[in-house]
Amino acid sequence: MKEVELDCLGEACPVPLVKAQKKLAELEIGDILIVQIDHSCAMKNLPEWARTDGHNVEVEEVGDGEWDVIIEKVK
Amino acid sequence: MGDEKNTTNTSVSGTTASGSISGIRRSSRTASRKPKKDQILPGLGILVLIVISGFALSFISKTLAFFWITGNVFGFVLQKTRFCFTASMRDPYLTGGTNLTKSVLAALAITTLGFTAIKYGAFINGMPIPGQGFVVPVSLATVLGGLIFGIGMVIAGGCASGTLMRVGEGFAMQILSLVFFVAGSLWAAHDYGWWQLNVIMKGKAVFLPDVFGWFGAVTIQLLIIAFLWIAADKWGKRKAEQSH
Repeated sequence: MKEVELDCLGEACPVPLVKAQKKLAELEIGDILIVQIDHSCAMKNLPEWARTDGHNVEVEEVGDGEWDVIIEKVK
Repeated sequence: MGDEKNTTNTSVSGTTASGSISGIRRSSRTASRKPKKDQILPGLGILVLIVISGFALSFISKTLAFFWITGNVFGFVLQKTRFCFTASMRDPYLTGGTNLTKSVLAALAITTLGFTAIKYGAFINGMPIPGQGFVVPVSLATVLGGLIFGIGMVIAGGCASGTLMRVGEGFAMQILSLVFFVAGSLWAAHDYGWWQLNVIMKGKAVFLPDVFGWFGAVTIQLLIIAFLWIAADKWGKRKAEQSH
């Protein structure tokens, strides 16, 4: 089980989402992907996609207007 | 919406999106959390400034003060709800999520009723119907313009209102979008006369109540919106099933 960070700071929606989708596809089941974002739109659609896809998701606001989206790949 | 409804397909206990104690084990980065600045005082200061500016503007022009207030309120709602017209058009394809699409359709349904009420009110009182200047001809330019705008807003990461809202939020990259958004608008305004004369005027202006009557127009428009809403709902559910 590894933990991968994906730096998407400064990237506008939907770039963080597309990057996260590609990265998550490379990972093994049980791995954790931490996507760092500061675009408020990605803070909505990234968790929404990951939850719909069936993964475990948490969003943490690490600073003002900066979020970590933590995705645990389950399938 | 969207933040608290994840408990059905997660095994992590107690997951709410708004920064609760992490249920997913993670080794790094928890220590790097930045201390949050207290924003209540600056916020109150800005609120006072907004109100004072509103009063100042109302001495110049009542309309200006009204625009100032509606602009501020609209921006606030847009930011707090994370409403995004771009996402409402893009996410059904990209993520299969149609929640925003459905909210936009709901908003359209409400404005349909509101606008009809205003216009019909003026009509039966024998007054000129407000906003008829915005009933402009439909032509190929409408389709083409929509397509160009759609491509542009997905690349720029936001439509007009979304870009303005995120610049206000402090997302620096979209200041660039704003610059080119202004440049593009100026260019369009410069060439608008030509388009007006050669393309737009060749289309036909349709005001639905003229064709179907007031009641018919509202019914037809609401039925179309309802149909799109159901289609969006079905699409969202199908996409969710496919991915499982």
